[in-house]
Amino acid sequence: ELPPSHFAAARAAAVAMGYLRYRRGGPGRGLELRALRRARRQDIDDAGHKYYLELELEDVLDKGRTVNCTAEVLYHLGSKSTAPDVQATVQGELRSTEEADKEFYNRIRSLEKELVAENIPDSHGNVPLELEPLHLLAWAASGYVIWQNSTENTKFHLAQVKHVKQAKRSDEDLQFDYVLLLHEMVSQEVVPWEVTVLWHPRRGARVPRDRRQPGHA
Amino acid sequence: ANMKLILIFSALIGASLCLETFVGHQVLRIKTKNEEEVKQLQLLESLEHLQLDFWINPSAPALPVDVRIPAVSVQSVKAFLESQGIEYSILIEDLQDVLDKEQQDMAESAQRQRSSSFDFGAYHTLDEINNELDLLASEHSFVEKIQIGQSYEERPLYVLKFSTGGSNRPAIWLDAGIHSREWVTQASALWIANKIASDYGTDASITSLLDKMDLFLLPVANPDGFVYTHTSNRMWRKTRSKIPGSICVGVDPNRNWDAGFGGPGASNKPCSDSYHGPSANSEVEVKSVVDFIKNHGNFKAFLTLHSYSQLLMYPYGYKCTRPDDYAELESLGRAAASSIRSLYGTTFQVGTICSTIYQASGGSIDWSYDNGIKYSFAFELRDTGRYGFLLPANQIIPAAQETWLGLKRIMEHVRN
Repeated sequence: ELPPSHFAAARAAAVAMGYLRYRRGGPGRGLELRALRRARRQDIDDAGHKYYLELELEDVLDKGRTVNCTAEVLYHLGSKSTAPDVQATVQGELRSTEEADKEFYNRIRSLEKELVAENIPDSHGNVPLELEPLHLLAWAASGYVIWQNSTENTKFHLAQVKHVKQAKRSDEDLQFDYVLLLHEMVSQEVVPWEVTVLWHPRRGARVPRDRRQPGHA
Repeated sequence: ANMKLILIFSALIGASLCLETFVGHQVLRIKTKNEEEVKQLQLLESLEHLQLDFWINPSAPALPVDVRIPAVSVQSVKAFLESQGIEYSILIEDLQDVLDKEQQDMAESAQRQRSSSFDFGAYHTLDEINNELDLLASEHSFVEKIQIGQSYEERPLYVLKFSTGGSNRPAIWLDAGIHSREWVTQASALWIANKIASDYGTDASITSLLDKMDLFLLPVANPDGFVYTHTSNRMWRKTRSKIPGSICVGVDPNRNWDAGFGGPGASNKPCSDSYHGPSANSEVEVKSVVDFIKNHGNFKAFLTLHSYSQLLMYPYGYKCTRPDDYAELESLGRAAASSIRSLYGTTFQVGTICSTIYQASGGSIDWSYDNGIKYSFAFELRDTGRYGFLLPANQIIPAAQETWLGLKRIMEHVRN
């Protein structure tokens, strides 16, 4: 049993949140960790460390309502190149995104020029209203990257969307090429990461391509 | 109307120079009915010994005549008017009352303008912050701006000293912005400085605190980094010192203190954001604070603001063992977190640095604790990652308000 304030529990929770944002987040839903209620850790011989978590979630677009969630995060033994296994079960209903998704989808599809934006939020924490869906989609995209690249010695957060450019496609998906700044809490590094996201109202978010931006340490 | 302004202006100058008051002076409005009455008033006007001051001189029957009458002459002038059947009304019962109120209004308006010209709910540049420090020091006799050193790029390190007297009273240290990208901390420090300065004398807790102790507040502990976050890279954390043999710049100032220096949780790579530097206190920003506190010799608390994560931590970071005062610090930390939560429901986790974030060597509160300053706490302010370093400006004041409650709780304990 771990105190929820212990860093190991917080790091595992961050991995679970990354996974949840990727799977359940999108332009119309941004999941935040409201509270970590409980954490247990199990050391499994020849496998790794498994964390059992009880989380309280909140949709930033549906504040005032929390939803409970149980998650399991397995960090594989000794491996830095294998993503942790995550399972998560949300208890209850999250606010429907159907309308918001449709509105966003149609708005982007009807743009004459490809959308380009940068610095979301800006230095002062501002996010223009019309860019909030792109911000939340970045959260979903960063969720994938965070989930895939976390170890027990890291804790990632999305610090900022440095740049986003839409890429028009012939099929039904929307495509956005992001440069995200990820803040890694343990080393305190802010790491630029190139992430391509495909999104569709029914199919949700997918990350076909991502890479740590080459360059400075 | 011009007459009035001139009068009020000279009255204020006069009052401030203690030359003249207008206590008991009355201003009458006289309504003349005919030429005869106008002539009577012109006669009155000629009597210099009465020292009548006509704001509207008698000229034609249709026009009102306004006159200021010194207190000693009021009764006799009224008696004269009544005996002549000349109608009048009292415009101003006591001129000094009007002037006093006017002066008060002007002072209040000026005060509002001064305080409201600095928007505490917005992010500011270093110059704007330094100007506000000057303003606070000039507005309050117990607030003094002192310079404790200068940064690598030779920017002054300004500390606000809050002291109501005594000689080297037991003191509390509070700093912000040692990591420059943590903008809510410098912003909160300004709000807190203004809060303390404004509420001394009216708030019982602040008053009793400053009557016994001094407070030293360093709102921008890393000015070079701060400027860099404005001009070049919003995500800059470290100092801006050149590192011999490296193309990379800057040292993590919170790994540079002489507490387990160079141990786990700090990097020896200059390009790293947690680079500890070539040696302990190599950073002038750190050395200046160390020297100041050592020379003072009477600090009882060392408090430092960071963001983000909503944590309230005490030593140790460089080792994962509990400090001797664990029980008291844990208890005080919980009480402070409870005070923070009481305002907006914001929850802060409490614990040692090592168990709450990570093992990290060379940190400031470990140094202060090992140097005899028992009440050493590090705050990580809002939020928990939604905006992270880029906290929207509309959260500055709420963050500052709740943080202040936590700080106050700790300071009250120290005072007692």
